[in-house]
Amino acid sequence: MDESTLIARVRAGDSAAERTLYDAHVDRVYRLAFRLAGDDALAQDFTQETFIRAFDRLGSFRGDAAFSTWLHTITTTVVLNGLRKVKRFRQREADIDDAHDIGVAQRQAEPDLKVRLKQAIDDLPEGYRTVFLMHDVEGYTHEEIGAALGVETGTSKAQLSRARAKLRVALSDFAGEWVQ
Amino acid sequence: MMQEREDPKFEQWLQDAARTTYHAPSTTPREEMWSRIEAERRHKRVIVLRPWLRWAVAAAAVLVLGIGIGRWSTTRTPGPRVANEIDSLSSVAYQVAATQYLSRTEAFLTSFRADANRSANTARLARQARDLLTTTQLMLDSPAGDNPRLRSLLEDLELVLMQISLLNPLQDGHDRDLITQGMNQSNVLPKLRSAIPAGPVPVRTEGAL
Repeated sequence: MDESTLIARVRAGDSAAERTLYDAHVDRVYRLAFRLAGDDALAQDFTQETFIRAFDRLGSFRGDAAFSTWLHTITTTVVLNGLRKVKRFRQREADIDDAHDIGVAQRQAEPDLKVRLKQAIDDLPEGYRTVFLMHDVEGYTHEEIGAALGVETGTSKAQLSRARAKLRVALSDFAGEWVQ
Repeated sequence: MMQEREDPKFEQWLQDAARTTYHAPSTTPREEMWSRIEAERRHKRVIVLRPWLRWAVAAAAVLVLGIGIGRWSTTRTPGPRVANEIDSLSSVAYQVAATQYLSRTEAFLTSFRADANRSANTARLARQARDLLTTTQLMLDSPAGDNPRLRSLLEDLELVLMQISLLNPLQDGHDRDLITQGMNQSNVLPKLRSAIPAGPVPVRTEGAL
């Protein structure tokens, strides 16, 4: 069954078609949510919310773009808004507890690549980080990223380039691993 | 515009390292998520407001404030018809306030469940839960609590917040797991989120109504 037929059946209230559509896309949505959130509970919440919204709003899907593109627009909106809320909440609490400098000293002394890479990626501005994770880690094209984030393809390319440049500087201690 | 220098070796190394080490997802818990999506969609009965109506509701809330100030500053007793209108508009204002409170509670519970740095924050979490619990109980006694759907959600939240407020910092690991399990089973976070549609807080009223 092609996707447009499947979508028409979901719109008509066919629950089996809903499940088929979910099965076809859930892995990619969950993977992206997990990469961005770094937490299973959050990734599950965001994935659920993405599909609930998608099914509720399927009537507004006109089919001008691929369904996956439309779905990933919802995914990135749900995840980035959700993460901003969590970040704001945690920041407020950190301010109250006056504990915001924890971790900075550890970062300089941490020799482990995994920890340094995580810190370097986490330190990227939100737009750079999102584009880097979508393109270099999850394999989205610049066209898909541009559509999902509502930016021009050129902007996506520029942000990726800057993200890589920042990571190169942050990980310069490990240059021996790629200059071989 | 600055053009960054390309280095294919670095890019390949970076991609490999990030794919294998940065937030690498495990198997998708598809059945678990699907059952929660189905449950949420079965129970979802939201009165969706069109954008112009949201603004109308927000405007009504502002009007309530104006009327409230007017009523406060005058000694004249309103007739029965005016009193009914004031009651009706006050109810909308309470529901707007409810939506703002729900946003705070959602952020709190999301953070509670996701917080990796567990026992260190217990005392703070318990304190915040007590604050939100007080507001929850006020909301239950307000006109916002007259809405059956919102009332049911507020009662679920009251229970969860009560449990968090009673956490003991010295032995909270098991209790926290139980609270989290209870939250998952009662679907409290998805219900909460469906009551808080996207949009600026003052006009997020559709789920609350």
